[in-house]
Amino acid sequence: MAELFFALPMAIVVLGAFVLMLMSNAEGINLNRLNLVAVLFLSVSLILEFMSFGGVHETYLFRDIFGDSFILDDFATMFDLMFTGGAILTLLINNDYFKSRDYISGEYFALILFSVFGMMMLSHAHELVTAFIALEIASLSVYTLVGYHKSNRISAEAMMKYMVLGSMTGAFFMLGTAMIYGAVGSTSLSEIALYVNNRELSELTLVVVGASFIMVTIMFKIGAVPFHGWIVDVYHGAPYPITMFMASTFKIAIFAIAIRLYLVGFASINSFWTEILQVITILTLFGGSWLAMSQNVVKRMLAGSSIVHSGYLLIGISSLGLDSELAASAIMFYLIAYFLSAAGAFGILSFIASQSKKQMRYEDFKGFAQRRPYMALLMSIFMLSLAGFPSTIGFLGKFYIFTSAIESGQIMLAGLGILIAFISVYYYFKLIAMMYFYPSEVPQKKFPINISTVLIAAMGLIVVWGGIGTSLIPFIPGADGFIDIAVQAIHSLH
Amino acid sequence: MEHILSYIIFIPVLTAVVLGLFRAERKLLRAGAIFSSLLTLVLVLLVVVQFDPNGGMQFVQKSPWIVNSGMHYLIGVDALSLVILLLIALLMPPLYIYMLHEHRKGYWYNMMLLQTGVSGAVLSLDLVLFYLFWETMLLPIFIMIGKYGNGMRQYNAMKIVLMTILGSMSMLFSILYIGYVYYDTMGVWSFALSDLTTITFEAQTSIWLTAGFLLAFAIKIPLVGFHTWMAPAYGSAPTPAVVILSAIMAKLGIYGIWRFGYGLFETTLSYYAPVVIILALIGLLYYAVRAITEDNLRKMFAYSSGSHLSLIALGLFLENQYAWNGSLYFIATHALASAGIFFMIGLTYKRFKSVHISELGGIARVAPRFTFFFAFFALSIAGLPGTGGFVAELLIIIGAFSMNFWVGVFTALSMLSAMLYIFWMLQRTLFGEANNSCYDIEDLSFREILMLLPLAVMLLVTGIAPSLFTPFFEPYLATTLTDVLQSIGGLK
Repeated sequence: MAELFFALPMAIVVLGAFVLMLMSNAEGINLNRLNLVAVLFLSVSLILEFMSFGGVHETYLFRDIFGDSFILDDFATMFDLMFTGGAILTLLINNDYFKSRDYISGEYFALILFSVFGMMMLSHAHELVTAFIALEIASLSVYTLVGYHKSNRISAEAMMKYMVLGSMTGAFFMLGTAMIYGAVGSTSLSEIALYVNNRELSELTLVVVGASFIMVTIMFKIGAVPFHGWIVDVYHGAPYPITMFMASTFKIAIFAIAIRLYLVGFASINSFWTEILQVITILTLFGGSWLAMSQNVVKRMLAGSSIVHSGYLLIGISSLGLDSELAASAIMFYLIAYFLSAAGAFGILSFIASQSKKQMRYEDFKGFAQRRPYMALLMSIFMLSLAGFPSTIGFLGKFYIFTSAIESGQIMLAGLGILIAFISVYYYFKLIAMMYFYPSEVPQKKFPINISTVLIAAMGLIVVWGGIGTSLIPFIPGADGFIDIAVQAIHSLH
Repeated sequence: MEHILSYIIFIPVLTAVVLGLFRAERKLLRAGAIFSSLLTLVLVLLVVVQFDPNGGMQFVQKSPWIVNSGMHYLIGVDALSLVILLLIALLMPPLYIYMLHEHRKGYWYNMMLLQTGVSGAVLSLDLVLFYLFWETMLLPIFIMIGKYGNGMRQYNAMKIVLMTILGSMSMLFSILYIGYVYYDTMGVWSFALSDLTTITFEAQTSIWLTAGFLLAFAIKIPLVGFHTWMAPAYGSAPTPAVVILSAIMAKLGIYGIWRFGYGLFETTLSYYAPVVIILALIGLLYYAVRAITEDNLRKMFAYSSGSHLSLIALGLFLENQYAWNGSLYFIATHALASAGIFFMIGLTYKRFKSVHISELGGIARVAPRFTFFFAFFALSIAGLPGTGGFVAELLIIIGAFSMNFWVGVFTALSMLSAMLYIFWMLQRTLFGEANNSCYDIEDLSFREILMLLPLAVMLLVTGIAPSLFTPFFEPYLATTLTDVLQSIGGLK
């Protein structure tokens, strides 16, 4: 029965999705209610996950039915917490946005829940076909969500682009899996690890090629250069809530499977990819910076910068391959930090978008600090954190990533990362400058107190607390607490 | 009172946060700011009274911060940091008197944040903590220039931030690397300065790491070649920000070299000494020439400030007792004098709506008190005998001669060139034909004299009786210098 309890969070999410599908056909249920139902299901799942965190080590779910397909460990649980938490935040922060757009309907919420289910499956997947199915469940839901605004041409274009390219790279995953199956005779990660451990690299050509194909899919999904062509247009075309969801939550899901494959499946040969990863990292850092710097629309800038953040994470991953002790927890911490900061920044954009339907270029932020001082302050906090300014959680994230790079001997890569962080100061500070340095023609508006703004403010506080929080105050975990969680999650993998 | 340094650091920012949360009215905000500055001044004076010149690092406080990465909240004060801390505390009340009728609330908040930033940077003994304060003190300056400045303020604000952060990023790299090396050798993380000094690096590594730190400090000072942000930023910044920029933040670059440069890389720093000395000598003359040809008073004194900071950096790298005494003394007196002159330029702008020398003239006829203070601060910048600047410059020049004859000659030349641009400027602004705009202006009011007088008195006292102050920091300098010379093998 214990297994049922552990499987319950996933089951509840998918159940919630079905309930929402049914509800969306009924007359007279408004968006608020639908949103509430979605959040309720996710919250129950979140609470159950929270209770099981730290309690179990390496249990396979329903082994007699699924075999090795689903694993349950703290690593997966921590990611599940981030997915459900991210989805809840997306839904609550964008509540105003949903009400301001008439194309939103009940299926919208169902699709979000379906994609969360896919992501949870992905983080629990311990077998390649399962991982593929999970990835496709999540991706298909997100494709639909991106193009949900059917009459909007940009949105439709974004969906088309994303779907065609995404499905094609999805095929690479399948191809890679087939090759690995051909060599190993199994797609279970533990079997693969066993097979790989007992052989020399020269005997493993098929496995290496297959794994490289899988890597293509992963690189595409996180938007690493040169697989990044879709990211700016898709992030731009998608409705704000979905951009937020993709940038903060979906990306984390891809890293969940990437880390698991890298640390469990191909642990003994992962140094094979070090050079490839380093080249991709350098390209990603420079390409992303270039893209982010050359944008006029804030949403596109954040899209470009999300590529850069993938680059930082790739630094961590290539350190992993070089036996860095710190890298794994550094990646986890960076994911938390990026998740908080990016979700906050997109949340504010979507809050502004719910008031007006204009595109938000840098110029449109002129005088924002005068119109909405608190919002501008929060936005500045998120920008500072994304730029890695000290006293925010983003600084510590970068701190750990770069230390792990130094530890694994990749001094140049660490130096490059710091250079890129310097470049990123330009495009993040540009927004702060726009908000603060120009007068506003419109008088100051009141800070509206509702669920979205309160949540954004809370995230702003967490971002600052994560950076300066000390272990002085008992019961409130500071930065230390975050790190401990990350370390605990990673240890459950071994 | 064991946490007295923490109070000194955090009283201003806490005042700002509390007042900001309650959305204080302007008058309350003003009262709060002034109260916080006076309170910190009293606390700093308490520290000064209890300070033991021979006691090394004092009032040390160590609390856990982010423990599993070895970052601690570690602060303490010794003679070097106390000098700058005292300067900060002394400058804030006059600054607030200057800002008394300022109705833009942002000014007050930013200045309080700034005080916390600079005090924290001076007192931190943990490298990450230092980095935190070093970066955060940039934000108020960024906002002050970009929001309240003049001219191409947005561009100039961006420029100062980008250039300074380029420096801090290179420093961050060095900090991370040093921290990792410590972890690698000791098995635990620590970023405390006292721990990190125990490890030694290979020569090649050490050269790179030092470069990381030096770049940050060279940009902050700024040494010539790293200075392109300086004149635009000084030109655009509102007076309170300029005062802090020139009087405190530029000195923090010097402080950084002293504390972290000599703390961590005594030997390697001597490797860079010829480069820095040559840069400083070029800077002395280059900045002086730029100052002579400059029409904008703010920019002129920006260059003058650059020139004098080059002199301080020069004195530091000469590595002998005279020069070190002179450098530290000059940090204090130049801070007072440059704060005074930038106040005067601010007052000039308030009266004439211009800071261009060509648009001024004949002020002496209508405003004698104004003229007196203006001339006094300008001359003490130039190193007029009787002001503290003279003593300091003399010490550095003696140090320079004792190292090398030609270095001494060039250093002495800089003092003369300073005389040149100061006297010529005074002649054109204060004396000569009165300009149209210079009739019927008000002389200094009581409030303005109240803010200038303490600075002037302190400059005089430091000039006439340097022996009052030197015992205060001489033991520290002597021991530090002996350490440095011993480690580079220069002590005979």
